[in-house]
Order: sequence, then structure tokens, then C-alpha cells
Amino acid sequence: MSEKLTLRLSRVGTILLVIFTYSIIYLPIVIIAFLSFNASSRDQIWTGFSFVWYREILNNPRLLEAIQNTLLIAVLATLISTVLGTLFAIGIHGLSRKQRLKIMVLNNIPVVNPDIVTGISLLLVFSLLPLSFGFQTMLLAHIFFCIPFVVLSVLPKLKTLDPNLYDAAIDLGASRFKALWLVIIPSIKVGILAGSLIAFTMSIDDFVISYFTFGDGFQNVSIWIYSRLGRRTFSPSVYAYNTLVVFVTIVVLSLFNLFGKKQKSIKGEKI
Amino acid sequence: MKKLRALSFPYVMWMSLTIVLPMALILLVAFSDLNIFRLGSFTFTLEGFSVLRSPVITTAIRNSFRFAFIVTALCFLIGYPVAYLLARSTSRHKTLFVTFLILPVWSNMLLRIVAWERLFFPNSILNMFGISLNLIGTDLAIIIGMISMYLPFMIFPIYSVLDKMDQALIEAAIDLGASRVKTFFKVTLPLSFGGVVSGVIMTMLPAMTAFALPARLSGGRTLLIGNIIEDYFMRTANFNAGSIVSLVMMVLMIVLYLWILRFDKEGETLI
Repeated sequence: MSEKLTLRLSRVGTILLVIFTYSIIYLPIVIIAFLSFNASSRDQIWTGFSFVWYREILNNPRLLEAIQNTLLIAVLATLISTVLGTLFAIGIHGLSRKQRLKIMVLNNIPVVNPDIVTGISLLLVFSLLPLSFGFQTMLLAHIFFCIPFVVLSVLPKLKTLDPNLYDAAIDLGASRFKALWLVIIPSIKVGILAGSLIAFTMSIDDFVISYFTFGDGFQNVSIWIYSRLGRRTFSPSVYAYNTLVVFVTIVVLSLFNLFGKKQKSIKGEKI
Repeated sequence: MKKLRALSFPYVMWMSLTIVLPMALILLVAFSDLNIFRLGSFTFTLEGFSVLRSPVITTAIRNSFRFAFIVTALCFLIGYPVAYLLARSTSRHKTLFVTFLILPVWSNMLLRIVAWERLFFPNSILNMFGISLNLIGTDLAIIIGMISMYLPFMIFPIYSVLDKMDQALIEAAIDLGASRVKTFFKVTLPLSFGGVVSGVIMTMLPAMTAFALPARLSGGRTLLIGNIIEDYFMRTANFNAGSIVSLVMMVLMIVLYLWILRFDKEGETLI
């Protein structure tokens, strides 16, 4: 009897925790969206609904440039780290277990390492190299922290493959490149896609590592925000930008969800 | 596929350059008077370590540990039941719920911190409901902000372990006469411990090293280690003192990382 009561209480408690979780995570995003529609440029008063900050994005050259830089870095870092990470993962998969574990210890350091330590590590290395800080250092830094995530999401997919698949392709006359491209890559594409999605997410949102590797006036959105906090040049247009990004993400993820479900049900019918 | 192992060799070189070399550099710069921008002769010295006795820095270290501990504990207490409920959920919208936990990552973290800051000011848009939170400068502001940012990092690893767990084990425990409470503490919790360890570390390290968050939500009054490191590297360009303070973080990261490795050799719970 008392156990039933505790169970019911714990269920109610858990549901309250779920509500709390989604509220505390989403409240800031809702506030940003709310402020993006505020006609006033001051954040503490609501003076009416307006799209003015959405139009302002186009009239604010420094912000527009920062948005372009963010997207450019995110797209390039995603493409490069996806290709490299996939190839590295295939290489790591071919190693003996002992060697593989050793490499994975290194691979996972940037994942666990606090961003600020990664940031200063790269700052020190880039200071030694004949590289001027700016676009190139930020891109290298983003590729650096994206690759481990691609490796981590591709490797488990490789493990589910038949180990003879590649050799069979070679025996049947495929070149190494063809065996990789036509046999291995298609069978791990889910992992590759997931890895690139994580890479893009990490890159587009990054502040700390970019902060330690930027320079020469090359700013991304995070740096644009950080350098303008509490200053007059801060513009609520950035709220509008963020709200647009969140909106697009919701649409894309919902489509993915629908698409994923459809695929599953087709498979189910076949069985 | 063993023949493809050569693909991992460039990765080892890349990681030596970007992970091993910086760690060595941080050590070298911490233990010497080397100027990274004007390489030349340098002498080893421990004099720099006296900064660790300065009250500003000891307070920052104490603050970092205090906030990281409180926030991690709260995130665990909130996050575990939520992860449990999501993993056990039979709703067809389960993936949607999980997806919506990832989504906030797409919204700029710095901007989410700004959103909390705007809410916590005495004059905020909440004034129109007659509310003035006036929390800037309090510990509570930092704790709320950190929970809002880092809670998903606690939930994910725990969720992914619970989701993969063999349901039959729990049924077996119940069939053999264990109460639900006992089953949870003797079967479910121990089996999900790997996810808990990853979650704890993925929450604790960012909380400990945050710098923009405490700076904004305390109005610059509460310093954490991150603020000290930022100051040394980005404002006063004192890389030697900065490296000494970073060393504290690096050692902690390595200890915690070794702890993860006991449960998860390849980092499968990290993404």
C-alpha cells in the first residue's frame, strides 16, 4: 500500500521535474524570441510588436558580416571535419584493439576538455606557428574540435559492418577508392550524417574556442555579441538572427523526425 | 579493412600537434619565464606559482569548485529522473521529446546568458507583470543560469545508457521478488553508472570553467577560474601566470577523464 503511494508520488514528482527541465532550458530562448519582436531597442520595456529588428539585420553591416563568417566557418568546418573524421575513423577501425583504445584516449580529450583549456591550447600552438590570427586560425580550431565528434559517431557504425565486406569488394575487382566509396561509405552514412550534424551544431554555436583564436577583425556572431555587451553598438537584431536560427532548426528537426518515422514504418511493413 | 589502418596515421600526427604539443607548452610556459611570442633563452622557475597564493585566485578557485559542485548535484537530481522517464517512455513522441532537449544547443549560448541577465536585472520586461527579480550579483543567478545551460549535458549520457539497457534485467529482478525501489537501486542505477559519470563530468567541467556566464550574471562581482584565465590570456597577456592557473584545470580534467575511462573505454557515452 505504501509502496503504491511512493510510486505515485515519485511519478508526479518526475513529471514536475520534466516540466521544470523544459522550462528552464527554453525560457531564455523564449525571452530572446520575445525581445526580437519588441519595437523598443531597450530590453526592459515592451513597446509593441514589430519586425524592425529582422529588417535591421540587413542594415547592420558588422552583424551581417559576423553572421556570414559564422555560417562560412560552420559549413567549411563541417565539410572538412566530416571527410577527415570519416577517413580517420575508418583507419582507426582497422587498428588492433589496443592501438585503437590508445588513439581514442587522445580523440576524446577535446570532447571532455573544458573549452577554455582547448582555447588556450590552440592559442599557444597558433602563436608558435607562422599563422596570423583570423579566419584561418578560427577555421583550424573549429575543424580541430569537430573531428572527434565525427570519429565518435562513425566508429560504432563501422563496428556493425561485416569485416569481410571491404576485402570482398577488392577481390571482386574494385579499386581501393571504389571499395571505400561504393561499399563502406554507404553502409555507414547514418553515422557520417549524425557526425556532421553534431559538428555543424558545435561550430555554429561556439564562443569560447573562437574567442581564443580570433583576430584581425574576423568576428563570428558570438564574438560580435561578447564585444558589444553593455555597449551602445549592441543591437537587438542579433535576437532576430537567433530566433531565425532556432525556427529553421525546429522545422528541419521536425522534418527529420517525420521522415525518420516514415522510413521505419516502411521497413516494418516489409518484415 | 585492416589495410586501411594507414588512414589513421595522419590523425595521430595531427593530434600530437594539437593535443600533446599544447599540453607540453602549457607545462613549459607554467614552469619557466618563456615568452611564446619572442622565443629565445628562458630559465625554469617556480616563482610564478606564487600567484596561486593570491587571495583573488584562491577565491576564484574556491568559487569554481563551489558552483560546479552545487550545479552538478542539482543537475543530477533533476536530470536522472528526467532521463529515466524519457528512456522508459512508450509515447510515440519520445524521439521528439529527446530532440527538443538537443535543440537549445542551436541557440547561441552567450545570447541565452544575456537573456537570463535581462530577466535578472531589477528593471526587466517582467516589470509589466509587477515582478522585479533583481538577482544580478547573487549566487542564485549563477546557479539558475548554469542549470539552464548545462542540464542537457547531464541528461543525454544518462538517457542513452538507460535507453540501451536490457529491460529483461529489470523484469527478472521484479520476478525474483525485489521491490521496485530495490530493483532501481540494485539493478538500474548501478548499470547506468557509466552514463552518470559522463554526465557529471560534462556538467562539472563547463560549470567550473565558465567565464562569460559568471561575469554577466554576477555583474562582474563573482570571479571563477575561467575569469582569471581569460584575464591573463586575453587582457594582460601574461601567458606564464595564465598557464599556471590553467594547469589546475588541466590536472583536474585528466583525473576526471581517467575516471570516465574506467567505465567507457572508447567514449561511447560522450555523444
